[in-house]
Amino acid sequence: MAVGTNNPDVMPVVPSLKDFDSSSGSWLERLLFNNRLAVMLVCLIATAVLGYFLATQLVLNASFEKMIPQNHPFVKNYLANQADLRGLGNAIRVVVENTEGDIYDPKYLATLREISDELILTPGVDRAGVKSLWTPAVRWVEVTEEGFQGDPVMADDYDGSPQSIAQLRQNIARSSTAQNLVGNNEKSSMIVVPLLDRDPQTMARLDYRSFSHTLEESIRTKYENAMDGPKLKIHIIGFAKLVGDLMDGLAQMATYFVASALIATAIIFAYTRCVRSTLVVVVCSLIAVLWQLGLVSALGFEIDPFSVLVPFLVFAIGVSHGAQKMNGILQDVGRGTHRLVAARYTFRRLFLAGLTALLADAVGFAVLMVIDFPVIKDLAITASIGVAILIVTNLVLLPVLLSYVGVSSTAAERSLRLEREESRGKGFGKFWLFLEHFTERRWASKVILVAAVLAVGGFVVSLNLKIGDLDAGAPELRPESRYNRDNAYITGNYSLSSDQFAVILKTPPNGCVDYKALTEADRLGWQLRQVPGVQTTVSLADSVRVVTAGLYDGSSKWLTVARNQETVNFAGNQSLINNPDLANKECSIMPVVAYLADHRAETLERVVQAASEFAAEHSVDERQFLLAAGNSGIEAATNITVREANRTMLLYVYVAVMALCYIAFRSWRAVLVAVVPLVLTSILCEALMVLLGMGIKVATLPVIALGVGIGVDYALYLLSAQLAYQRSGLSLAMAYKKTLQFTGRIVALVGVTLGAGVVTWAWSPIKFQADMGILLTFMFIVNMFGALVLVPALSYFLLSTKPVATPIFDGEAERLVA
Amino acid sequence: MKFRERIRTLSSVLVLMTVACPSWAFQDPLDRPATKSALAQRSLLNAVARAGARLVVAGQRGHILYSDDAGKTWMQAEVPVSSDLTAVHFPTSQKGWAVGHDGVVLATTDGGESWVKQLDGRALGQVMQEYYASFEGKGIDARQLEELRAAALRFAEEGADKPFLSVWFDSETDGYAVGVFNLIFQTSDGGKTWTPWFDRTENPEQLHFSSIQRTGEGLYIAGERGMVLKLDKEAQRFRSVSVDYPGTFFGLTGSEQSVVVFGLRGNVFRSEDGGAQWHKVTTGLNVTITGATLTEDGRIALVSQRGDVLMSADNGRSFTSSPMAQALPASAVAPVGTHALVLVGTRGVNIQPLKK
Repeated sequence: MAVGTNNPDVMPVVPSLKDFDSSSGSWLERLLFNNRLAVMLVCLIATAVLGYFLATQLVLNASFEKMIPQNHPFVKNYLANQADLRGLGNAIRVVVENTEGDIYDPKYLATLREISDELILTPGVDRAGVKSLWTPAVRWVEVTEEGFQGDPVMADDYDGSPQSIAQLRQNIARSSTAQNLVGNNEKSSMIVVPLLDRDPQTMARLDYRSFSHTLEESIRTKYENAMDGPKLKIHIIGFAKLVGDLMDGLAQMATYFVASALIATAIIFAYTRCVRSTLVVVVCSLIAVLWQLGLVSALGFEIDPFSVLVPFLVFAIGVSHGAQKMNGILQDVGRGTHRLVAARYTFRRLFLAGLTALLADAVGFAVLMVIDFPVIKDLAITASIGVAILIVTNLVLLPVLLSYVGVSSTAAERSLRLEREESRGKGFGKFWLFLEHFTERRWASKVILVAAVLAVGGFVVSLNLKIGDLDAGAPELRPESRYNRDNAYITGNYSLSSDQFAVILKTPPNGCVDYKALTEADRLGWQLRQVPGVQTTVSLADSVRVVTAGLYDGSSKWLTVARNQETVNFAGNQSLINNPDLANKECSIMPVVAYLADHRAETLERVVQAASEFAAEHSVDERQFLLAAGNSGIEAATNITVREANRTMLLYVYVAVMALCYIAFRSWRAVLVAVVPLVLTSILCEALMVLLGMGIKVATLPVIALGVGIGVDYALYLLSAQLAYQRSGLSLAMAYKKTLQFTGRIVALVGVTLGAGVVTWAWSPIKFQADMGILLTFMFIVNMFGALVLVPALSYFLLSTKPVATPIFDGEAERLVA
Repeated sequence: MKFRERIRTLSSVLVLMTVACPSWAFQDPLDRPATKSALAQRSLLNAVARAGARLVVAGQRGHILYSDDAGKTWMQAEVPVSSDLTAVHFPTSQKGWAVGHDGVVLATTDGGESWVKQLDGRALGQVMQEYYASFEGKGIDARQLEELRAAALRFAEEGADKPFLSVWFDSETDGYAVGVFNLIFQTSDGGKTWTPWFDRTENPEQLHFSSIQRTGEGLYIAGERGMVLKLDKEAQRFRSVSVDYPGTFFGLTGSEQSVVVFGLRGNVFRSEDGGAQWHKVTTGLNVTITGATLTEDGRIALVSQRGDVLMSADNGRSFTSSPMAQALPASAVAPVGTHALVLVGTRGVNIQPLKK
């Protein structure tokens, strides 16, 4: 399986094209290099076409549905009953705060009405479900000697007079629904705005970014800066706003991409000292990014906060692989070979090796397909597309381009000189000399010991790794972001938390007013209230108790679910008039909603356990308790899926990487040498997550897969060369010494360029991108050092004898020997 | 396409659920013991009574709790039902009764620590039917007897949907439980047998009884539409001494000298002549007065749904509002020692110190 051979007899120095046999090389090489213009033309057309798609069809978005695990039973139950669970799904909460007074200010109320009306008319809003002090569905109920009375909290004859303000104050005091809409300090009130995930007419998905911008412009900016009326502050939370803010963060990622590109360019230039070749590498990698974005746009993918990271990875991988090509070409040109011939030699040597390395990267992406989150699947697909494109742009287009532009001859000579110097232990060579010690017993034992200590220590720390989001508010964004400040205000001033966990109680039509169903719903609510972290629960049963008491003069002795069907019917209907969210229109689906103190994984686990036990014990054909809905219900499902996905993904990525290594090395001992540094880095990465207060969540799932999938490149470079040297009869120490001399710089270069590609994410306004950036940089850099230090040390113990098998990369090694 | 997918998902979920769920029958609150919960003392409680020095409270889901340290700490009693309870009364420090929804009557002989069910709504109708089938009681005519038999049949048919709302025992043998639609049972053997007393009440419209209580001077029942009944000891019948008031009375209290009834919208009426004449008492409140008690120094305390506490040192002639540290909705009240009251309500137990 030799890639090609680098014997000077086969690849002689050919200063002039006349002396080169253009029919030499593989059929692919002849096809591409004897038709260089056609290749260039095809790439140009592809760039134009895909550029057109990129320019016209690129969409930034992320939908609620795409971020949740579609196959988890909780999510299936939720999606199956979504239409009947109004108020539990996708809603935003707009809080209007009067900074100069309280809500009982006629001007405040007038503006509140405008805002409420404006929100109702905003496209994407489920109009009938909007709740504010101004919507007629928000009612009060009271008992008098004459019986039962109720009306909208905002009376029909409200006119802003002191009397009608006093009336409003009284109405709010006797309406629990209204009280939940008023801040504890009475300085603000809330508008609850349920959203439709799809437009009922066009079935088009809600565009969160434009919706969020509408909120910012026609609500926040407009009313916070209004000249007349009291000074208002608007606080907005909810998934749609969060996603909108994430989208804005996405748009900023373009800046970070430019920064990453500049850093990578600088690194390449520092490496080659050749403007021409640096430009060729960067341009080819940029073309890869352009094709990738164009192709995913053309295929109908949307760019979400996850898949926006793919171009960074594609560019970083492209640059680091491209830089390797330069090495060969620079040296051939330095020796006096014509640039076209040098390009063909490079292609000859590196195409299959590069292909294998890119396939290894693709493995890292591909295993993400097993994760049941559409956003992660999209990430896997779009990243795989990107890697596939790199095969064309960096393995074909790049050498073809180089055959035209060539490299600077001074840089080419410098390259040869540096290599000679390093082999004599000068410059970087000192570092490589130092690393050679690790093939000696004394050092190897120490390194293994240190690694073992780190592994055990890291493992102990990583036992504290939590699942799920650990911070209050939206962990996707930074704590000081406007969204999280709004969230903190609302959490601090409103009694009902925004973390809702709902169990769906499903009955036959009209079954929601069945005595048994209500009694069971009431029991479930009570059971859930016992769980630490549950603040309170709300269901139709609670409201039925209150209305029933209302029927009996408001006596607390009648706060009960009556057995009398007429009483329950009345109480149920009245409850649904007061709060239509308590059951669907058919009266067959009612949620039992638990309001949680936080959304930490332990809290969710406790609630899930209590609810599951209850559901298992109490579900019968005519009364089914289905988990789960509400944002916390979905989050619980997400956590469970993430926990499982984390395990399976680690398993798959390691199996895949080990298989790949085995194919490459044909030796289980070598596989062990390659994989142990990756395992150590994975453990340390989890420990780092604990130290940085990160939990395992959707966003951290891809990190280890990518870190391991891409990180194995280092071991592939090092070990393949080392094994080839050992196979040719050198001792381990000599083999590693030679390996370092010729590949050490490449390993360092790959590590640094990959790190540069992702480190800029750390400044992203999106917290999870920053987390991913930090973790991936850590993975790439630590993997690099792990490989340089651990590979020789492990080799001392495992590979001291000469391996028998023929490694796949012997061609590359022979080139290096030469 | 989407719709069909959704249907398919839905039906597979349904199939899964049907297969996964063992078919457990519905457990009736009357058959399901109350569960212990740390939240019980902070959740709805409707009634409070003194059992000697002990405080006993009762409320929703069969919750009965007792405290031996003036309300600081509470223990939850063993209760065989999880019905919502409405009233509790102890004639002695050891023996007590509690009543509630589902027609349940519970009794304790250990000061409220454990309870047994003496009667429930499923049996009421049958007891009534048997009793009135061979009824030879005095004071009613044939038409009234027919009505009683019809009521007995209705109670038997409708099952356990009628709650008792109040209970009173004069001694550890003699007591009464009252509730909706003229519901009244009497016992003379400590609850071993219960006798329907539907025929002994002057309640032709079969209104609800909210409260039964002995004041110094007589045994009274208060109820809907200004109804007040008083036991005629000789005739062993409850005779009407009603107030001219259309609203519901929630309860009554009184001293040797007077009886006080109270209810909706701060309405309080008082009589010094055993109910012959009633006088409206000004309270200044517009919310329902829900409970009352006599303090150890003889003052009358009233509590409101909003959490107001009104005190009277002149047998109910006048009331003054007593400022409270924390106003929580109150349903019932009892004295704790000489200087405090225990209030119970929708938010559980609330101990309030009392000024002299």
